[in-house]
Parts: sequence; C-alpha cells; structure tokens
Amino acid sequence: MEGVAMKLPSFPNAISIGHRSFSRVRCSSSLSVCSAAAASSATISTDSESVSLGHRVRKDFRILHQEVNGSKLVYLDSAATSQKPAAVLDALQNYYEFYNSNVHRGIHYLSAKATDEFELARKKVARFINASDSREIVFTRNATEAINLVAYSWGLSNLKPGDEVILTVAEHHSCIVPWQIVSQKTGAVLKFVTLNEDEVPDINKLRELISPKTKLVAVHHVSNVLASSLPIEEIVVWAHDVGAKVLVDACQSVPHMVVDVQKLNADFLVASSHKMCGPTGIGFLYGKSDLLHSMPPFLGGGEMISDVFLDHSTYAEPPSRFEAGTPAIGEAIALGAAVDYLSGIGMPKIHEYEVEIGKYLYEKLSSLPDVRIYGPRPSESVHRGALCSFNVEGLHPTDLATFLDQQHGVAIRSGHHCAQPLHRYLGVNASARASLYFYNTKDDVDAFIVALADTVSFFNSFK
Amino acid sequence: MAAAMSSSCCASSLRLIPFKRTLVSSIHYPAKTLLLRPLKPSEVPSFRRTIITFQKISTGIVPPPSASSSPSSYGDLQPIEELPPKLQEIVKLFQSVQEPKAKYEQLMFYGKNLTPLDSQFKTRENKVEGCVSQVWVRAFFDEERNVVYEADSDSVLTKGLAALLVKGLSGRPVPEILRITPDFAVLLGLQQSLSPSRNNGLLNMLKLMQKKALHLEVKGEEDSSSGESSESSFVSIPETKDEANVPEVDLESKPDLVEDLGTEKIDDSESGSNVVALGSRGMRIREKLEKELDPVELEVEDVSYQHAGHAAVRGSAGDDGETHFNLRIVSDAFQGKSLVKRHRLIYDLLQDELKSGLHALSIVAKTPAEV
Repeated sequence: MEGVAMKLPSFPNAISIGHRSFSRVRCSSSLSVCSAAAASSATISTDSESVSLGHRVRKDFRILHQEVNGSKLVYLDSAATSQKPAAVLDALQNYYEFYNSNVHRGIHYLSAKATDEFELARKKVARFINASDSREIVFTRNATEAINLVAYSWGLSNLKPGDEVILTVAEHHSCIVPWQIVSQKTGAVLKFVTLNEDEVPDINKLRELISPKTKLVAVHHVSNVLASSLPIEEIVVWAHDVGAKVLVDACQSVPHMVVDVQKLNADFLVASSHKMCGPTGIGFLYGKSDLLHSMPPFLGGGEMISDVFLDHSTYAEPPSRFEAGTPAIGEAIALGAAVDYLSGIGMPKIHEYEVEIGKYLYEKLSSLPDVRIYGPRPSESVHRGALCSFNVEGLHPTDLATFLDQQHGVAIRSGHHCAQPLHRYLGVNASARASLYFYNTKDDVDAFIVALADTVSFFNSFK
Repeated sequence: MAAAMSSSCCASSLRLIPFKRTLVSSIHYPAKTLLLRPLKPSEVPSFRRTIITFQKISTGIVPPPSASSSPSSYGDLQPIEELPPKLQEIVKLFQSVQEPKAKYEQLMFYGKNLTPLDSQFKTRENKVEGCVSQVWVRAFFDEERNVVYEADSDSVLTKGLAALLVKGLSGRPVPEILRITPDFAVLLGLQQSLSPSRNNGLLNMLKLMQKKALHLEVKGEEDSSSGESSESSFVSIPETKDEANVPEVDLESKPDLVEDLGTEKIDDSESGSNVVALGSRGMRIREKLEKELDPVELEVEDVSYQHAGHAAVRGSAGDDGETHFNLRIVSDAFQGKSLVKRHRLIYDLLQDELKSGLHALSIVAKTPAEV
C-alpha cells in the first residue's frame, strides 16, 4: 500500500512532539476509487455561494468517491452511520502515530499529551451541546451503552414497584430494552405513547400519561423512522412538574441541528459519535451534575475508583465514576475532531441545508406512485428530519434495497431499523429508508429517485 | 471430546463427517466447527490403525468473495457432481447467465412457479432464522422416503431463492441432501448479485432444509422397527445396541459416516498378515470395488475380530460380525483426487454395506504412480 506523506494545515490541537506534524494519507487499495475523486477537488467552484454545501464538502469524504457494483456510490444511509471526513481520520491516525498512551495514569510526556487531548475532546463535546461543565459528559461506547448506564445506575437505584417510565412506541430498541430489563428488576411499569393521525407520537397523550407516579420520561428527539421531532422543552417542563426525570435520545438530532442541553433542560441526553462524523466505538451521556453525583457506578474497574481495598472500594467523582477501564482514547479525540469539523461549517448552516434537501427528497419520493412514506407531512409548522422511511406497494423493501444496490449503487437501508414495535404499530414487517446528511446533494436524491423508479418497474414487470 | 474411538468413548457427542478440506488447511467457517488433528500412531489406544478424524460439512457462512476473487478458488469448493441432479442443472443454468439482472429474473421466475405454502405451515419451526425477509420452509416424506419441500416468502427475491432450493432439493433422499454444502451458492454467481445478508438467508434456508431432512429421517427411524441402521447412528456406541438410536440433532454438524482414515502414516506393512477368509460382505465389497474402480491392486481384509470387543459389534445386525475392514486399493480412478475425495468415493460405492452393518473402513487409496 502506498503511503503519501503530506504536511497538513495544523489543527488547533495538532501535537508537535519534536516531529513535524504530518499524517500519512493511506490509499485504500481494496476499493476502486474513481479517478474522478482527484479531479473533483480541483473543480470545486471558487464561487462558494453558488455551490451547495453538499458539493463543497464532498472532497473531504474520500469514501463517497467510489463505484459499487459498476455504478457510482450514492450513500443514503447516514442515519445508520455517517461518513467521516479526512480530518477525523487524520486525528485518529495522528493519535496512534504520535502520542498514543494511556490516559490519567501516567507521568510521562506522551501520557500527559494523550490525557490533555482526551479531556480536550470532552470539553469540545460539552461545548457542542452547551453543557455547563465538561464533567457532565461521560464517554461511553455508544448511545446504547449510555442509556444502559442510566438504566442500570440511575434506574436500579431510583425505580420502585409501581413507578412509571414513559416511552413512545417509536423508540429505538436501545431506549426500550434497557427499560424492560430494569423494570423487571425493580417492578416499575412501562407506559407507551402511541401515534396520532399525523403519524407522530401523540403529545397530548404523553402529557396525560405523566402523573405523580412517573419517574422518568425517555424519548427520542428526532425519530430515525418517522423523521418527526418531539417538543423536548415542553416535555421536560411537564415531567419536572411531577418530579420526573427526562432522558433524551438525541442520536438523530445532535448530528443534524443545534442541540442546547441547557435550553432543553433535559436531565440526561445521549448521542453516538458515529452518526455525527466521528468514529464508531465512542458515544456520550450528558447528565446534570447533581444527578450524576447521586448515581452509583455502572461498570467497576480501574479509573472509576478512588481507593481500593480487599473488602470494599471508594469511587471517583463523575465523570470518571462511570468510565471504567481504559477508554477509547483515540476515538474520543477523533470525536473531538468531528465536533471541530461540524462547528467549522456551523450547525445552523448544516441544519438549514438538510431542511432543504430533506424537503426535496420527500417531495420527489412522494411524487412516485404507490409510495407510502411514514411520519408526518412537512409543513410550515412541521419540520421533518432529512430521511424518509417508506414502502412501495407490493414490493418488499429488501428486494428494493437489493436491486438499488446491485443495479444502481444506491445504498439505503431496509428492515425494521431497530424499531420493531413501531413497525408492528404501523402494520408492516419492514420498511426501506433513505437518509441524508450534509454531504449529500440534490444529485444524490435525483439518482435515487431514478433508480427507485427503475427498480419498481423491474419488479412490476414480473407480476 | 476424545478423538479416539475407544470402547468407552462418549458417543452421543461424537459426530463424524466426511472432511471437505485437508486437515492442515485453515477453516474459514465460524468457530463452531469441530476440528481435531489426527492422532499419531503412538497415541492410538488399544486397537490399531483406527485414526479418526473429525470433519465437518461446511455449514458455516461462506465469506462473500471480494472483488478480486477468481474462479480458481472454485477448485476448493464441493464438486458440482455431489449435488442433487436438479440442483446441478440449476447451478449450470445460473453459471451460463452472466448478467445479474437476468439472474434476478430467473430467480423470480422460479419464485413465481413455486407451489404456494399453506398458511397453516407458516409457523415458528418452519421459519428461517436470520433472514431479512420472512421465509418459511416445510418438509415431508413422499412414498419413497424422499424429502419434499414447500416454501414461501414475502420478498420476491427471497422467494426465488427458496424456490431454487426447493426445486433443487425436493424429491431427493436424505443423505444426498445432507451432503450438500453451501459452496454451490458461490457457483450460482448470485453472491455478487445478492447482499451478504441475503446470501446468509440462502445459507440459513439450506441449513433449515437439511435440518428438517435429518429430522424426518430420525423420526422415520424411531417409527420404523429397530435393527435397520441409519447413517446417523454410525458411531460405535458401546452403550446402546440399538442402531436406530440417533443422538440429538445438532444444527451445527451433519452426521454422516464414521471414517477410519488410514493416513499415509499407516503403512502397508501390516496388511496381508492375518488373512481371514472373506465372508459375504467382504466378497461384496471386493466385487463392488473391482467393478467400479478397476483397480491395479485390491486388498480387502476383514479385521472385524480386532473390534470384537465393542458392544455394538456384538449382536449387530448384518453379516456375522463383518464390521471392520482394511482396504488397500491402487487405481487410476484416484487420479487427480485429494485423499479425502478418494475416501469419499469409496464410501459412496459402499453405501449399502454401510447402511447394513459395516461400521468402519481403514483405507489406503493410491494411484499407480504413487505406489
């Protein structure tokens, strides 16, 4: 494999450890990279205003410039995982290449550097969501682990028989199953909010369900299937009125829009790095300081202790209390780089762009016959996320996705998207989903629609 | 789990199957495979020359070939001749169709002509696990104890795959069905056209169909009178004399035959010493091998006396305890075949004997050039 040494512009956190700071750019030889990739960066228009955000950033995502099955890749599965810009990959590479060392424990130079960068990443994430203190950010493996942390740590010590936990039928499995487990252990009861006729969780029903028995409301911010969003601020007000806590699953919101935890006033908020241009293997839990301080540990081990004796141990303060063992150091730092990258573009800009292409996707998709899109219709008051879960009459989503991939290089997802209860509620086994991120363009949407039309006609010709 | 067959081995977990690859090559399938190295002669307990190797039909997931995979890798796959005839036809058909779209059309054509599956059969036991869409498979015996399949799916392409398997496997006897490995999926050339998750569906369908076939066989054995040994009870089970008692069905492994593989370590120095006059089975074996392999040299030695201690040998149905033989065959028929393939060839020829009381063979199979 050829390695190309480049001197990159120094990032704010570039480490010079007596070396020139550079990173090797590895060409991935197992993919056929379009030679157009090199050309595309040269042809980016100097007039940045007329070129859409998607077109402008594409050069940062090498993975998008390839062919699959003989067609150009059209990646429409960012809700499952996002692609990473070169800056994030370089940060990860840099870490391992120049200052990899275990954090928090060492005295030596590399260890101090690693610790600094790791904690800096924590600060970046805190700033990104406007947490008041970086110690309110607990690094976890992903959002699922973060929710489990709250369930096992907060839930087991706070839920009593008869207590109620309010969820919606549209929740991701990661925000259903941990609560099922914990409610079995504690005797708490789960209550589910169903959808209204707009195919959005019924907010009025939610409000009605909140009672003095409610101890926790755990809901998504933006639904990964319906593309709808919930009014978290209001929900928090209602919940706090009865002394209940609120956990927000922000996996589909943090990557796409400005999320301000102080404004939302949520007690807990979780998100995954890999959906926001960061690497897999890292995510975080935001928890209000006094709340975290009151919670017992989740996993036990090193880092989270203060003193260890044979018969007992004392525990560290949060966030360390909830970060047992060696963390995903490089990944956390790369997440920090992702935060920098996104902030460099500006979340308001990203969101605005996604509203535009999301609307375009919805319009184009709904103009095809026999297509049923789930979730609310976009309007002045209703903003959908930039994704569409849909079904085509008489066509199984898996067939659709297979053909789109094989014949057109279009990558969408088919299945239940980790939301089986929702699909059961909607009365379908599975659905197809196309999801956009700020590196997609209207061209991608057009390619998708053309491919979809071709697919549908192919299968229809067989009936 | 002991590799050696001793008189006190734990039989219920012993499952010996023809080995598809040489023991030294690495297995690419999930770690559920059971793989043991052959015992050195010094390690073999009391009875000699019974070196057993455990082999496994590759029921694991065939890793999808990368873009750089070449047809030369097909040499390692199960030969197409070992597939049921209809499946062979289907494979050849798909190999002749290059264009992926056309393959889809062919698949969907099969699916369209699939006998519908009555909804009462769309049960949990009939559902194929690990499929992205819903697939059900049902199996039953026809009058000749061949397995007949019916299937359905809500996805058109998956239905096509199911139909392909139904077409390819239906109406065949159980051993033939059990012998199939998922390799043919590669030969279909569909792997490029199908996503890995879909392809795993094909593998899982095959697995379920094989499991159901085995189940029918087992049930059939239990229903019919004992004394007729089935292939799956091939292990010398000292504890039980009842040859119809089949160990629990294990999804991960397919029982087939007990093999005493005479490896190259075993020399012919011991052959020819105690020449026991061949009984009727011995004669039949000799006849068959002579007829089918046209050997340059053929030695059939009855060494059942060496195993007379086994409870299973005692009172086994069959010909006066003719249960264990040493074979030495030199024939051109082995040209170009691996050791394993040679042994399998011989076992195939002696199917009837194996079914009726022959327990084990110790085989030396060479081509004239190798002698």
